[in-house]
Amino acid sequence: MNSTLLNNVLRFVGLLILQIFLLDQINFLGYINPMVYILFIILYPVDNNRWSFMFIAFALGILLDTFQNTGGAHAAACLTLAFVRPVFLKLVYGESYLMKNLKIIRTPIDRLLLLSVLSVITHHLIFFSLVIFNTSQILYTLKLTLSVGIATILIASLFLIIFKPKVKS
Amino acid sequence: MQQIINFLIKYRNLLLYLFLMVIALSFTIQSHDYHRNTAIHSTGYLTGNVLSTKTGIYDYFDLDDQNKKLSTENAMLRMKLLEISDTLLGEESTFLFTDNIPYKVFPARVMKNDFYKSDNFITIDIGSDQGIESDMGVICPTGIVGVVDRSSDQFSRVISILNSQISLNAQIKGTATIGSLKWDGNNPYTMSLEDVPRLAKVNKGDTIITGKQSTTFPPDILIGVIKDAELTENGSRYKINVELFNDMTNLDYVNVIKNRDKAALQVIDTLGTNE
Repeated sequence: MNSTLLNNVLRFVGLLILQIFLLDQINFLGYINPMVYILFIILYPVDNNRWSFMFIAFALGILLDTFQNTGGAHAAACLTLAFVRPVFLKLVYGESYLMKNLKIIRTPIDRLLLLSVLSVITHHLIFFSLVIFNTSQILYTLKLTLSVGIATILIASLFLIIFKPKVKS
Repeated sequence: MQQIINFLIKYRNLLLYLFLMVIALSFTIQSHDYHRNTAIHSTGYLTGNVLSTKTGIYDYFDLDDQNKKLSTENAMLRMKLLEISDTLLGEESTFLFTDNIPYKVFPARVMKNDFYKSDNFITIDIGSDQGIESDMGVICPTGIVGVVDRSSDQFSRVISILNSQISLNAQIKGTATIGSLKWDGNNPYTMSLEDVPRLAKVNKGDTIITGKQSTTFPPDILIGVIKDAELTENGSRYKINVELFNDMTNLDYVNVIKNRDKAALQVIDTLGTNE
């Protein structure tokens, strides 16, 4: 088993357990539970095999759905995030990111943050629209997206700063 | 033919995306439909056991709080017992402990509780092995919690009263005025009592209790107090905002209620319609 694969399996299981056991219990102000598990999708290695990537993202989402009784909201949000990630990568790292053998976790923190913000907005908007599932509550959906999104980005950047490998100078 | 294959290869990512998205959306739509059994739920073997491990860990953090709640409830029960033994002085009282009591109460623990969605569910740690069936009522020491939706061997899913699909029979204490209790999806501390006739006496601060028409809950269980009321439907009906007694965001020990006479009552209620 090579180290990239092992790393990703550990990340998948670790983030899932962290999400279910710790982050879903925060209930800050009664409803804010940051969804940091999407770091797995953000940091997934860049390659051309988008099929397996989308399947894995979908599986991660379905697993969380079973724990939170959200039907397929996590799955839909994760799947969409996995599908549009190449677009975000192109936006953040430029047209030629595929040539550079990019390791997302090793890139500068400002780029990483920009990628996270884009991903979190996409994911949370889809997730909360499907959870609320009511067009007359659009403002409530947006409010949830914004407040939970900010919490997710705060906690996620904390994780990124802690686990980011030090750049060799 | 070649073109079709080329098309499939060219758009394979998009097609996979659409395929999986349809699955996810159908799960989502099912989960918002109260009457249909969903495939994705938290009463399965793996999910249920992980959630109960989690409850086991988090138990240690609020033992103090729970002890206080239990002792308060004990005190209340003792008061009621004293009241009963006082009124039943010298009477036959063994009926209190026979098998044929009208309501059976099963204690349970909440393993998972939601309150920020528009359709919330609760998972509890007893199931069909303990005799839990769907449509049983769930209460807690300070009020009502929900109705059992489905149960597996060891776990059950409860439709929280904070669910837009739920509608419960409730009445104003001291009168026979009834209405249906619903949740509008915003505040986990308030619900609304709808379809109350305009001529009913509605006073701020009056207590709302479960109604006698309900076969799910025993009558006279406290729900909340009237916060304010407004006239709707051209002033013919009241819509009353009810402030709940119990804190739905902080649930731990609950009781599931089994009504002995439920089947018999439902047969009587549906009699006239089949003729």
